[in-house]
Amino acid sequence: MASFERFEDMYDSRLKPKILRNLLSEYVPNEKQPLTNFLVLSKVVSTISTHKLLSESPPASVDQNHHAKSNSAVDDWVNRLLALVSSDMPDKCWVGICLMGVTCQECSLDRFISSYSVWFNSLLSHLKNPASSRIVQVASCTSISDLLTRLSRFSNTKKDAVSHAAKVILPIIKLLEEDSSEALWEGIVHLLSTVVILFPAAFHSNYDKVEAAIASKILSAKTSSNMLKKFAHLLALLPKVKGTEESWSLMMQKLLISINIHLNNFFQGLEEETKGTKAIQRLTPPGKDSPLPLGGQNGGLDDAAWNSEQLIVSRVSTLMLCSSTMLTSSYKSKINIPVGSILSLVERVLAVNGSLPRAMSPFMTGIQQELVCAELPTLHSSALELLRTTIKSIRSQLLPYAASVVRLVSSYFKKCSLPELRIKLYSITTTLLKSMGIGMAMQLAQEVVTNASADLDPRSVEGFDAVSSKNMSLTNGAVLQACSKKRKHSTNSGVEAENSAFEVGVPHNHSSSPITLKIASLEALETLLTIGGALGSDSWRERVDNLLMTTATSACEGRWANTETYHCLPNKSTTDLDEFQLAALRAFLASLVSPSRVRPAFLAEGLELFRTGKLQAGMKVAGFCAQALMSLEVVIHPRALPLDGLPSLGNLFPESNSLASQKHNTPNPNKLNGIAHDGDDLCNKWLANADVPSNNAIQRTLETTLPFQETKRLKVGNDLATVTSLGVQDPTDMVASENVQQADVPVQVPEGSLGQISDKDATAPQDGYVEVVSGTQEGEDYVVKDSLMEEASIGKRESLDESDDDSIPSLKDDDFLSDSDAES
Amino acid sequence: MEISVIASSSVESEIGSWDLKTGNKLLQFKPCASPAHGLTAVGEKFLAASQLRKESASSGSIFYWSWNKPQVEVKSFPVESIKALTANNEGTYLVGGGTSGDIYLWEVATGKLLKKWHGHYRSVTCLVFSGDDSLLVSGSQDGTVRVWSLIRLFDDFQRQHGNTLYEHNFNEHTMSITDIVIDYGGSNALIISSSEDRTCKVWSLSKEKLLKNIIFPSAINSLALDPCGSVFYAGARDSKIYIGAINATSEYGTQVLGSVSEQSKAVTCLAYCADGNLLISGSESGMVCVWDPKSRRPVRTFNLGKNPVNNIQVVRKTIVANSNKAQSSWKRRGSLIPPPLEKYERSGEDTMDGIVTIEPLPYSDVPVYNSFLSADLIDEQVKELQQQGSAATEIEMERLKLEYKRSLQMNDQWQKNYENLLQVVMEEEQIGGSN
Repeated sequence: MASFERFEDMYDSRLKPKILRNLLSEYVPNEKQPLTNFLVLSKVVSTISTHKLLSESPPASVDQNHHAKSNSAVDDWVNRLLALVSSDMPDKCWVGICLMGVTCQECSLDRFISSYSVWFNSLLSHLKNPASSRIVQVASCTSISDLLTRLSRFSNTKKDAVSHAAKVILPIIKLLEEDSSEALWEGIVHLLSTVVILFPAAFHSNYDKVEAAIASKILSAKTSSNMLKKFAHLLALLPKVKGTEESWSLMMQKLLISINIHLNNFFQGLEEETKGTKAIQRLTPPGKDSPLPLGGQNGGLDDAAWNSEQLIVSRVSTLMLCSSTMLTSSYKSKINIPVGSILSLVERVLAVNGSLPRAMSPFMTGIQQELVCAELPTLHSSALELLRTTIKSIRSQLLPYAASVVRLVSSYFKKCSLPELRIKLYSITTTLLKSMGIGMAMQLAQEVVTNASADLDPRSVEGFDAVSSKNMSLTNGAVLQACSKKRKHSTNSGVEAENSAFEVGVPHNHSSSPITLKIASLEALETLLTIGGALGSDSWRERVDNLLMTTATSACEGRWANTETYHCLPNKSTTDLDEFQLAALRAFLASLVSPSRVRPAFLAEGLELFRTGKLQAGMKVAGFCAQALMSLEVVIHPRALPLDGLPSLGNLFPESNSLASQKHNTPNPNKLNGIAHDGDDLCNKWLANADVPSNNAIQRTLETTLPFQETKRLKVGNDLATVTSLGVQDPTDMVASENVQQADVPVQVPEGSLGQISDKDATAPQDGYVEVVSGTQEGEDYVVKDSLMEEASIGKRESLDESDDDSIPSLKDDDFLSDSDAES
Repeated sequence: MEISVIASSSVESEIGSWDLKTGNKLLQFKPCASPAHGLTAVGEKFLAASQLRKESASSGSIFYWSWNKPQVEVKSFPVESIKALTANNEGTYLVGGGTSGDIYLWEVATGKLLKKWHGHYRSVTCLVFSGDDSLLVSGSQDGTVRVWSLIRLFDDFQRQHGNTLYEHNFNEHTMSITDIVIDYGGSNALIISSSEDRTCKVWSLSKEKLLKNIIFPSAINSLALDPCGSVFYAGARDSKIYIGAINATSEYGTQVLGSVSEQSKAVTCLAYCADGNLLISGSESGMVCVWDPKSRRPVRTFNLGKNPVNNIQVVRKTIVANSNKAQSSWKRRGSLIPPPLEKYERSGEDTMDGIVTIEPLPYSDVPVYNSFLSADLIDEQVKELQQQGSAATEIEMERLKLEYKRSLQMNDQWQKNYENLLQVVMEEEQIGGSN
């Protein structure tokens, strides 16, 4: 009968029980039917979550009959799972447990509340039973974790939930201590993290046991580094259990002491012994009891370990990672970070570079030194990471220590040549710049620029840049897009492209780090430009702009020509190159947009580059280029739009103007013009606004680029009106938004036009004034303009209109004018 | 987010606070008589104000109020009277400028005086942090405006090398500085200072020089900046609020664009609230007025008694609208006011014990969400099982096969040995038998 039933569409809720029953009978094993194909399980899970098969329709639904059906289907489902969970066969049991976890996530609220306790106990029994197979135990951990996660979302079952969670702790700690399978540890760590995060109260009596178990796992270091990281993360979460500042400080103190003790041993003969004792003294101030060592009294410093440098370093790195995690995760109470100790620890580690102080040399054998040196980079890397997270977590409060951190970073930059460590250093500088702002940019600028220039030096990777410089010479000669397009399509260049692809690929294959290093240094430069771009105008700015232009052009030229070639190769380094390209473009954009006293020197190159980039297939790059073009649009069309928020002053308080002029007896009647202006004609205003600064900017450029005498001569050589009008307009430096200032035209071109325009300018304001006044009378909504600037611009606009047919020898200027005419 | 306005007076009275949106009067804090620029909110944590004292008093005083108590919670007594007081955005440091021209920097959490330096020749009148808290701009009675890099101030190494402490020194003002604002320009920011010499001056941080001089008909008491740039508001002694245009160009520079309104008495302080674009002014008449600068009409007025208002601050507080528990923990934390500020810099080892206290973020109380993992685990384990069916098992199989082969060979070997041995024994037997 049922098989004749028809459904409306795929959203018909009557479908759900049907599909569920079907899954149950076809794919889920039962007592008799064995599981044949594991792959179908994934299918079952995805079907359940796609169709929301376990969400029973609410009882109030229209169709009572339907409700009962869907209910009974889910009932069957759950019963089958329970049967499977208690099955003897490990595979069936495993299927049951896994699906139970999914059920906890998917099933309806009522069902979960009514039966979670039963489910929990049946899952827990597998953890308690040492005879269960490993895969079953792993699945149980995960499923219990999901059950607890769902449980944590109900506020009314909190107490019960905590007591349930508490039952888990002891069995899994026992498992953790006894079993040695990494997969199971992973499951246990996940479950413990869930309990720590969601039900910290469940730990109380067992806290020390948990800490000891995890610490001993870390100290034994007999597992993969990935697993060690997970243990470190869990250990870092543990202070959340008590949630007090003391527990946090205690854990941090234990970690730092343990790290320093390990280092005392490791650095024997490499540094003065007093350093170590001082560090420990600092951590255990006199008069206070020193805490129990990490992991309890017998927690781990067994003597056998002392001989293995590798073991010590892996321990120390894990403990440092743990401290880093503690620093960055959020806590509900305030925390006291021992910044002084952490910084001196970092300093201590970075000071050791494997060389032997003269006095110590007899005490160390060559082999010993070799072993130490082999492990030092790992240690330095962890120390740098610790430094980074410290900076990140205390942000502005680094202030008292900032100067010493800057010195540490700069001096280490000079010594460090390993790419991996330099990447870390760049990320530290980026963090410093972001968290401390302009003041930090003042301190670090020189260091960042020097190092980034060295790392971005095109000669450092030959193959890559040999090719791109070839391309560059092509493009530099004539930056014509058409040309490069031709090159792409011609048969000749096909060969060349392939060649270059080959060459581009090679260097990164055998030294994949330099490209990531370049990315890091580009990011550092970008941040520097973002935070303190205006500071370097006198010193490093020009060099950086130049460097970034070259880098961006070379990064793009090599790639765009042969995107297709790359796509053929399923090579991983392609993404690296994409990243590099993107980083180069981002930094280049920052250099174009970042405030500067002169017009960006490579604006034309930039626009061309981004325009070409916008047409590329790679969506990320194309998207960024589009965004870049939008940001640059403000640079090429400077806006000084009427301020929306500015009150129309002339409207309500005209007397204030007269008041001002009265009191100061200002001899400039033009002042009135700027105050009110017809606000409707936005286009005119835009033109006016965009137009004026060019005049000022020209003068600025004259002033900045030529020696004073020269400027004077030039001015005198010009129409006299120019000089006077400009002189009057701009006695001091022009204060305008940076955008406006950028709107200059090439220096040498406009001498003639300048004279003409401003010639009229001198006479124009009278007309402008009349127009403005009439505007004030008619318009409803007055927008106040920035006085003289506007006033001059109105005059200028008119003068431009008049001087329309004068051909001005500047290409840009000409375009601009004809554009404006068309619009007006 | 709760936005409130707080206002204090130079005459001993209460600090008034009002909700900016509803206009409701909130808690009042007392007693307080603070100099201009002497009132500041320390992050979102609490309220601090330096106190005007009688000339005879030897030390200054700074009071703290927590947000939920009207009485003074903590009293500190710095060595001299503090005129200007301000905190950085995070509320971790408090900076005060004394009558002697010294500037003091305290760590809020511990109350330690971290740094004290001679900033100006005469009394400090106002202190402003840059947008990223890394620079401090100070103005003084002697007419100078100085920009300090805090990082460099703490750099003893550079200090010893005799460099000047300040980054920039702007000294074109001829009379006492009354207010300073700094815009959102980052490293290219503009600094505007107002002075009793009836001018406002615009300085460029990156170019380190005066960009613009704007003359007003009256001495300017206070400044507020329109965050969108180009325009600032200046509260003048002649009871007007002037609007100045930063961009304006003229040879003379008198750019008084208008006044928002007539009030009977001098405008003493201004504040701009970006949320809703409101300008708030305080006057000697005791009125606090909220303006809509677009329509230039007052939206709302508050009254702080008859005492002249000389400080206004807009305070934003994050309200954690959560369960009861979260609120109670807020209260618990709210009452945790740090210890009083210390008088002297500590010396020697004791200066820095190397502990930095980090306050929890206000939203760290929200419940944590853990993600479900079962579905992923199934995929992972299925994959693992599949792989065991292939690679691992194959290798194991090969190994077993090899071992099997080797054992077979060994077996053969033994068998041969045995046979040989047997043969030998048999032969011996035969020989023995024949013998």
